[in-house]
Amino acid sequence: MFPDDLGGRQPHELIHYVEILIFIAASDGTLVREEIAAIESMMGRAMIHPETRVELRGGFTQPVPIEQSLANIDEQLARIALRDSAFVAAIDGAYDSAEIGALKMIAEVANVNDAQLSQLLDWVGDGWNWFKKYKSFLN
Amino acid sequence: MLPDTVHKLPREERFAYAKLLAFMARIDNELTVDEMAMFEQRLGTALLSPNQRDLIREALRHPPTLEECLQDLHGQAGRLALRDAVMMAAADGTVDEDERDALEDISEHLGLKEDAVDQLLAWTVEGYKWMKRGYQILDNLEE
Repeated sequence: MFPDDLGGRQPHELIHYVEILIFIAASDGTLVREEIAAIESMMGRAMIHPETRVELRGGFTQPVPIEQSLANIDEQLARIALRDSAFVAAIDGAYDSAEIGALKMIAEVANVNDAQLSQLLDWVGDGWNWFKKYKSFLN
Repeated sequence: MLPDTVHKLPREERFAYAKLLAFMARIDNELTVDEMAMFEQRLGTALLSPNQRDLIREALRHPPTLEECLQDLHGQAGRLALRDAVMMAAADGTVDEDERDALEDISEHLGLKEDAVDQLLAWTVEGYKWMKRGYQILDNLEE
C-alpha cells in the first residue's frame, strides 16, 4: 500500500518475488480476481517492466514451483516476500493449509520461526482493520 | 496490497479513477520514485486493459486538467480516487498547497463532508505508522 524498499532490487530478484506471490495465490487451487488485483498491485509497486509483467502473468495458469523461486532470493527479500505473501494468502478470507505450508517454506528461507510468522500474520490483520476504516469517512 | 474494491468498478470508472491519479502524480510537476511506485501500484489494482494503461501512462506525460478528470468521476469511483489521491499526495512525506487545494476540490465535487480530506490524511498517517511497524517486524526477525 505504501512505498517500499523493493526499488533497490535487481529485475531478476523482483521476478522471483512475484513468482512467489503467484504461487501463494494459486496454492489453494483457484486464483480469484481479488488475488490477481493484489498481485498486479504489487507488480506495479515494484515497478516491474510492463513486458516482464506479461511474462509473469503466465504464472497465473502455471505457477513456478516455489522451491525454484526461493532458491534464487536472499534472506531479506524472502522476508519481504513473506510479508506480501501473507497479504495475498489472506485476501480470500482465511489462511488454508496449503497457504500456511507455503508461507512456512518462505519463512524458512527468511529465517523466521513460527512465533514470528504468527506476529507477522497479526500485523496483516491489523492492516486490514486500519484499511477498512476509510469507508466511514467516505460513505 | 490490502483487499480493495477498485477492481470491482465498471471499466470506464476505473479509467476515470486512474486518470485522476495521473493528474495528482504530476500536480507539482515532479514525480518522485515513491509517487511513481504508488501510482503504478494503484494502476495495477485497477486491472486496466493494456490499451487503457497506455492511455494513462500518456496522461502521466501530458496530465489532464482537474476539471477534465472530475467530469467523469462520480460516486464510488470518485471516493476511491480521492482516498488514493490523498495517499499519493502524502507519499513524498508532505502535502503541499497545490495538492491540498486539489484534494479539497475533489471532495467538494463529490459532495463529501468538509473534514473528509482531513480525516483521510489522518487515516493515511495511521497507515504509514502501521506499515512502519511492519518494517520493524521484518527488521527484528533475527532468530
